Amino acid sequence: MASGIENKVKNAKLVLLGDVGTGKSSIVLRFVKGQFVEFQESTIGAAFFSQTLAVNDETVKFEIWDTAGQERYHSLAPMYYRGAAAAIIVYDVTNAATFTRAKKWVQELQAQGTINTVMALAGNKSDLVEARQVTAEEAQAYAQENGLFFMETSAKTAINVNDVFYEIAKRFLQAQAQQQQNTNGMILTDRAANRTTSSSSCCS
Amino acid sequence: METHRSEKDRVVLVPFTDFDPAKLAGYSPAVPLTIRSLAVFTASEVETLIYVGTGGGKLILLSLNPTLPSTSSDDSSNAPPIAPVQFLRSATVSNRVIESINVLPEIRRVIVLSDGFLFLVDTLLLQSIRKLGFAKDVTAISKRVLQPDSSISDPFGDGAVRAEFSRYGQTFLQKFGGGIRVNGTASRVSELQRGAGTGCFLAAATGKKLLLIELFLPSNVDLDAEHGSISIRWKEIQGIEGVKTMVWVGDSIIVGTSEGYILFSDVTGKGSLIFSLPESSPPLVRPLLRSSDVLLLFDKVGVVSNALGHPVGGSLIFQYVPESIAELHPYVIVARDGRLDLYRKKTGVYVQSLSLKKSSVGPCIVANDDQGTGDILVIGTTYKAFCCRKVSPEEQIKDLLRKKHFKEAVYLAEEFESEGEMTKEMLSFVHAQVGFLLLFELHFEEAVDHFLLSESMDPSEIFSFIMRDPNRWSQLAPRKRYWGLHPPPVPLEQVVDDGLQAIQRAMFLRKAGIVNATDEDFILNPPSRADLLKSAIENIIRYLLVCREKELLPPVKEGVDTLLIYLYRALNRVPDMERLASSENSCVVEELETLLDGSGHLRTLAFLYASKGMHSKALTIWRILAKNYSTGLWEDPIASVDYDSNSTSDLLSGQRVAAAEASKLLQESSDQVLVLEHLGWIADINQECAILVLTSEKRSKQLSPEEVIASIDPKKVEIHQRYLQWLIEDQGSEEMHLHTLYALSLARSAIELVERDSKLDNHLAERSNEMSASDVANKGALTYHVREKLQLFLQASDLYDPEVVLKVVEGSELWLEKAILYRKMGLEELVLEILALKLEDCEAAEQYCAEIGRQDAYMQLLDMYLNPKDGKNPMFKAAVRLLHNHGEFLDPLLLLEKLSHEMPLQVASGIVLRMLRARFHHHLQGQVVHNISRAISLDTQLARLEERSRNVQINDESVCDSCHSRLGTKLFAMYPDDSIVCYKCYRRLGESTSARGHNFKENPIFKPGWLVTR
Ligand SMILES: Nc1nc2c(ncn2[C@@H]2O[C@H](COP(=O)(O)OP(=O)(O)OP(=O)(O)O)[C@@H](O)[C@H]2O)c(=O)[nH]1
Ligand SMILES: [Mg+2]
Repeated sequence: MASGIENKVKNAKLVLLGDVGTGKSSIVLRFVKGQFVEFQESTIGAAFFSQTLAVNDETVKFEIWDTAGQERYHSLAPMYYRGAAAAIIVYDVTNAATFTRAKKWVQELQAQGTINTVMALAGNKSDLVEARQVTAEEAQAYAQENGLFFMETSAKTAINVNDVFYEIAKRFLQAQAQQQQNTNGMILTDRAANRTTSSSSCCS
Repeated sequence: METHRSEKDRVVLVPFTDFDPAKLAGYSPAVPLTIRSLAVFTASEVETLIYVGTGGGKLILLSLNPTLPSTSSDDSSNAPPIAPVQFLRSATVSNRVIESINVLPEIRRVIVLSDGFLFLVDTLLLQSIRKLGFAKDVTAISKRVLQPDSSISDPFGDGAVRAEFSRYGQTFLQKFGGGIRVNGTASRVSELQRGAGTGCFLAAATGKKLLLIELFLPSNVDLDAEHGSISIRWKEIQGIEGVKTMVWVGDSIIVGTSEGYILFSDVTGKGSLIFSLPESSPPLVRPLLRSSDVLLLFDKVGVVSNALGHPVGGSLIFQYVPESIAELHPYVIVARDGRLDLYRKKTGVYVQSLSLKKSSVGPCIVANDDQGTGDILVIGTTYKAFCCRKVSPEEQIKDLLRKKHFKEAVYLAEEFESEGEMTKEMLSFVHAQVGFLLLFELHFEEAVDHFLLSESMDPSEIFSFIMRDPNRWSQLAPRKRYWGLHPPPVPLEQVVDDGLQAIQRAMFLRKAGIVNATDEDFILNPPSRADLLKSAIENIIRYLLVCREKELLPPVKEGVDTLLIYLYRALNRVPDMERLASSENSCVVEELETLLDGSGHLRTLAFLYASKGMHSKALTIWRILAKNYSTGLWEDPIASVDYDSNSTSDLLSGQRVAAAEASKLLQESSDQVLVLEHLGWIADINQECAILVLTSEKRSKQLSPEEVIASIDPKKVEIHQRYLQWLIEDQGSEEMHLHTLYALSLARSAIELVERDSKLDNHLAERSNEMSASDVANKGALTYHVREKLQLFLQASDLYDPEVVLKVVEGSELWLEKAILYRKMGLEELVLEILALKLEDCEAAEQYCAEIGRQDAYMQLLDMYLNPKDGKNPMFKAAVRLLHNHGEFLDPLLLLEKLSHEMPLQVASGIVLRMLRARFHHHLQGQVVHNISRAISLDTQLARLEERSRNVQINDESVCDSCHSRLGTKLFAMYPDDSIVCYKCYRRLGESTSARGHNFKENPIFKPGWLVTR
């Protein structure tokens, strides 16, 4: 929408996935408003936010969908991750089950063939050192195997929260530049497909 | 119906009537009718059609006139003659439940789904009902929603089956226009440009198939003719079983089954899952017309998706799983079990809740005009239906304002504005309205804050709060009453008094147990009248000051500035008042004259007069002020505030300021009479000011020097002199008598000073210890200064009459001046006499001789030195000096002769010795010069010789610098600047100019080796 004003603003659809209570909403709240609330309500459906981030001389406008981790809303997730430029899969470092669930999300995304999606694995609540159940090494190894980038975050202390988004923005811009190069020769078909999508969603 | 308000106390939906369709239609209560489906169609501004589908297959048509007063069917016994809801007609469609009703205004038909079949009937139920035979087992139906400004493909590209009564055969090019108005009715009609006529599309789910249906009404057919005139085409695409709900937006048909939502493209016929539903989450999909999005229900969550199945924004979270959903822009309304809730579509904010009377609870349907027009919402319960009206943004805000919820009202207005539901102008209007309300609530600061936020408010609207009506600007102020929520303007004092009274009344009522909407703070801490008034005035000042910077109509500008002075005066803000009055302003003086005069703000008044060019009046005031200061009668309001400490200096400074201000005005004035009238008193206070007035170059027309001089008090020598000086030196006046006058004036001053100095000297001699040395020095310096000025002038000007001046100085000790005058008169001897004998200024005397330029002058001078009159001794020293300096004109023997015979040898020898020494010195000097010249001559010769004996090497390449021919073996010459020429050229060029154009005569060259440097 705002792309008309600033040429260099690139919109990026971003989705947060992960088990209930892992801190998805907290991470977004920290990133968008710089706040943290101890008693964050469990998300219902999906919440939407937008935030811009400057990377060098480019600006990425994130359209963020913070999905609900409750199992009942699982079936809604595809609607949000479909066509997303980036996904942050969040687990809670103090809860091994959430890491298992995170791996399932990765599998689901991979199965969907969303290869162009920049994927990040975030081990949240890193401030709760005492209660840790998932080591950083384990998660790092998994991330490496699956081509994700990994960071341990804390929405509470703000550690690494902005960094995750910044890294995503960087990778997103890189991927875009790459794509541009790749498609330079045979852009026709791609463009046509794009046009129909954008024309009908322009006023949304 | 009860209304539960949310925290914000918002009322968006207001129930206004209810009805029992069975009763209205006159059905016997023995056979109860249940309401199972509803449709609303805004036929015109005054008529809304309501279609009620019953459980037994009946279609009841009612007409609602929303402009009529509201009634309730409960009290129909004493109902007014015309109820807002009236029964029009009813028809029996089938004997099963009527599942859905869709109004198709484009073709003036209604399509009804019942018993798995589709039925077409005209909107007024006048004609017979037609069953569409090609559709069986229909479970859901939807009208196609067209997206504005986007081209949509034709779903009937191929494979369409034509109905037997179709009358046209051409394939059509699809082109959808937006909604258009037909014949001034409010109904929006989507026109399908095909031949001529209008049409619409429907999708119906039947078993595993989706039927795409096109209904078309050619324009050459009477709209109300039989169905036969409507052409119908349809096409089947693969669908899915168990469709319970569906929406067709653009090219997407979104269907909902208990499994989930699937999107079918009417172009490709392909289906894709949007998302699946968990168990026990009923599917429900609704189009959101404004944005061409759809709302998909998931449990109690409304997921908004665009026509392509992409999410749009966050989810709407309802408090329960709704049975029915309607969009009443910009709200989404959900209903269940007799309860209704309103949410903002865009933000998901919960706005209002309504619950229906207990007796009528049951399954609940909400419906409004599905064209997106109209403000009517109909809620159907089992037996009864209720009508609600959407309150316009303005009404909502007005409602909040009436309840004095100002902040909420503004918040709401801003929200409406940001979402495009209210214009910017309206927001400005609201700010102004809120400002006025706050003003009457005595919240002046906030009031002005809102005034300032209103772009449309004109400052003249508050003039009547400052100056009682009628006033000069009464006609000017637009009589804007806004929403009439506040009383008409009255002066601020009265606003405060009335407000305080209201607070008192509220306190009284509160004691009596009656609570009303009055400011808590004020009730707890009743403000003082003075504080309120001060705050009122200060804030209005703040407002007017901001307004001053804006572009205003001239009369408004005048009002703003005039009233600012008014308000400043009220707070006795003298410096502000004076600053405004003395700067560029649009004050109306007549409005302020008596006021300022009465309150003694004379300075302000004077500034004001001055700024309006009423100089005479301003000056009169300054004169009065100066006089009052000096007589000590004046009590300056600022003086008493600002500088109590030393009042004598105040008086002085007050007077001086008055003089300075008056002087400023007069400096610009060309009105001679005025200048001369006021010059006197200004001069009495401050001569400098008077001088500034006279010598100003700011006036357009100069004063007449004669009259000015005549009017200057003869005692004010300084003014007189400085004026003349200005005329002569700055203005370059060549009037002879002015020059004479100036010279005379200076001369008189000088004489006076000299005399005073000498008296002082005598005095000093007598009582030497009483005068300080610096005093003496000062006096001397002044005398010196004046005399210097006189001397310079006497020397420089040729225009004064020296004789007249001489008469004045003749008897004085001003010898140099006399000398100058004599010189002007050509009396050389007298001049020399004064210089040589009186002043003994040998240098000046010699100088004068030089000026005269004749030899005999020196001789005359020498004679004077040697034969001074008045029994003086000859001035040998001066004579020797003269001889020394100008001996060439003089004979030393004359001096020697003059030496008296009686002169003691010691004295004489000194003189003779000096004379001889001087002679000898001259001789030696001459020798030195001679020898130096010879040395230079020798050097020069040597250098010339060296130049001439220089060797030059020539080769084959060497060419003449002038004709560029090869030198070869030719004779050649070289100039001192090293340029070489052939002999021929040398002859041609000559010796003094080289081939490079160097002229040695005009511009000799010197080489470093030569001793001669100059
Ligand atoms: N100590 C700590 N607590 C956190 C952190 N992030 C989130 N929390 C807490 O964890 C709880 C759940 O956080 P949410 O942000 O609601 O988690 P969510 O992933 O959005 O949960 P759902 O919306 O139900 O899927 C809240 O009480 C947060 O305060 C963190 O970094 N450190
Ligand atoms: Mg959450």
